[in-house]
Amino acid sequence: MSTTTNTSRLGSLLMTPVHLLMRIVDVPLRSLQKATGISGMAAFFLAPNMLIFGIFVLLPLVINFVYSMTGGTAFFLAERNFVGAEQYSRLFTCGSYLDPMSCQEDAFWTAVGNTFWFVILQVTLMILVALVTALILNRDLAARSFWRAVFFFPVLLSPVVVGLIWKWILQRQGLLNFGLYQFGVEPYTWLTDRNWTFVATIGVSLWAHMGFYALILLAGLQAIPKDLYEAAEMDGTKPARVFWRITLPLLMPNLLVVVVLALIRAVQIFDEVYVLTGGGPGTSTLYLTQYIYETGFASALRNPGLAAAASILMGLVLVVLTLIQLGIGQRGEKKGKR
Amino acid sequence: MGEIKLTDIKKSFGSVHVLKDIDLHIKDGEFIVFVGPSGCGKSTLLRTIAGLEKVTGGEIEIDGKRVNEVTAADRGLAMVFQSYALYPHMSVRQNLAFGLENSNMPKAEVAERITEAARMLEIEPYLERRPGQLSGGQRQRVAIGRAIVRRPTAFLLDEPLSNLDAELRVSTRAELAALHARIGSTMIYVTHDQVEAMTLAHRIVVMRAGKIEQVGTPLELYNTPANRFVAGFIGAPHMNFLSAEVVEQEAGKATLLIGGSHRLLVPIAGHELSVGDKLTVGIRPQHITLANDPGSLTVKVRLVEALGSETVIHADLNGEKLLAVVPGQRQISPGDDAHFSVAGAPLHLFDGNGLRIKDK
Repeated sequence: MSTTTNTSRLGSLLMTPVHLLMRIVDVPLRSLQKATGISGMAAFFLAPNMLIFGIFVLLPLVINFVYSMTGGTAFFLAERNFVGAEQYSRLFTCGSYLDPMSCQEDAFWTAVGNTFWFVILQVTLMILVALVTALILNRDLAARSFWRAVFFFPVLLSPVVVGLIWKWILQRQGLLNFGLYQFGVEPYTWLTDRNWTFVATIGVSLWAHMGFYALILLAGLQAIPKDLYEAAEMDGTKPARVFWRITLPLLMPNLLVVVVLALIRAVQIFDEVYVLTGGGPGTSTLYLTQYIYETGFASALRNPGLAAAASILMGLVLVVLTLIQLGIGQRGEKKGKR
Repeated sequence: MGEIKLTDIKKSFGSVHVLKDIDLHIKDGEFIVFVGPSGCGKSTLLRTIAGLEKVTGGEIEIDGKRVNEVTAADRGLAMVFQSYALYPHMSVRQNLAFGLENSNMPKAEVAERITEAARMLEIEPYLERRPGQLSGGQRQRVAIGRAIVRRPTAFLLDEPLSNLDAELRVSTRAELAALHARIGSTMIYVTHDQVEAMTLAHRIVVMRAGKIEQVGTPLELYNTPANRFVAGFIGAPHMNFLSAEVVEQEAGKATLLIGGSHRLLVPIAGHELSVGDKLTVGIRPQHITLANDPGSLTVKVRLVEALGSETVIHADLNGEKLLAVVPGQRQISPGDDAHFSVAGAPLHLFDGNGLRIKDK
């Protein structure tokens, strides 16, 4: 009893400066509200955030769009000449759209193709692996918290570190070859074989991001009431039917979020791949973001306008994916309210 | 048939013993209610019968067959969960059908059973709705319907009314009683609400700390509680307990001193009491009357609750709390002195261990 009183006394003591501060702040805010009304107050409180968003997101977006309408190698906008939609038409100039090599910007279309296959395979595998991981982590296994942490740790690593770790493992004199050599297997050049590098980029990005998606799915699984499973048990429901008829439908909102997030992030794949393979060998792991980066900044004949145009196109794809995600989110909310 | 026999049931979670030596014989068609405070093990006992928890020791028999190793699904029981546990993504019809489809029942029979249960529970208009579109009372019916369609040997109900508002609880309680009368199956019902227990049960099992304190009909428990715990748990408001001392004893009778000064003559035929014994006297609040007689208990009124049809008086007798429920409306205020009479009231005597001293 006395502990409670002491705690509450301490609480009120700590709150005194807060109350005082609020009373001081209250005066100008009240007069402001009188002048602008409630909706004006909302704008006032949103203003700082909007300012940051405007300067660091909206303005660069607009500038980027302007860049995409200009030509030349100069970096400052004032030194660049207006070329209209020329950069876009350059990107779309192709002999046949089915053959990247027939395009004027063949590297762009190679990157688009690589990114497309990467997204399809990586997202599919990501969903499957994350789902299976979440299902396993949701069971009563020994040291469950430990395993949850183990699968989540890679998410905390910076992508560059992820790339370096795997380079260290996969390179010719790396850990993998060293391990295989102990079993008498000849070392192999994993990072210079076109097929293996593509597989490696998928595998590494799976390893790096899977924990995040598994965590979302795990949260979804834990939100499914235990009672439902007990009711199914009383009804003599077989495990496979429990999964397809109860677990999966109830996990669907989380699963959709994961699909869309994974899609968006897969389209943007860059850092870990750039460190791991540099897009090579050749252009076998050249993905869209790397193409944009190299076109705009890294190549000898840099073309910021072309890079800007390509990034605008990529941005459009991401906007569509984001709208789908928002749509799903709103549908989920409506369902929840019903 | 739906006869369930529990012999020496034990259940532990690690070092915590939740159920201790439970023996109980539930007859076919009986409506039995497990009642007790939170954490007494009543829900766990129900879940061990259901097969959702494995017993640590003892034997469960259903219709004469040992079912300890039989899965929940094969015990032929149906459970109604406190949360209803309806599948939120399925319509009411799909919810009712789900369990039946597991056993590959012909579609026509599934449809027939759903129609029958829906008619019985008056949920026909909602069959195509999802649980989220139903009120609490409707969901509760669907949960019962899901149990009914399976035609189980016994129904297990885990606090099925606790999520309903007070008014709906009363009406649903009556419907449950009617439903039991109609289908006649064994029903095992868990609640912490002693009013539900009193109104629904053929027999009540009062539990405390993993043990059965008493089994009996509602009136047996009310009139002859086996111990202080049951006496305090059954009946609302709770029974008054006053400490007493035997001051005189003669053939078949004893004089007790209560409240420090008041003498009470009680029959104790067939029981050994001696002068100086400390006892507890239990008196139900409804059995106390207001008197003008100065020979009765003089108490200090602390609080008066006027309910219109009756008046609840909280009083203090030399530091011991005493509650009286008297009929009608009374002109009495906190701070007043009042005279409580227990003449003619059934008195319950409990010994130092809280066990009833039987009045033969």
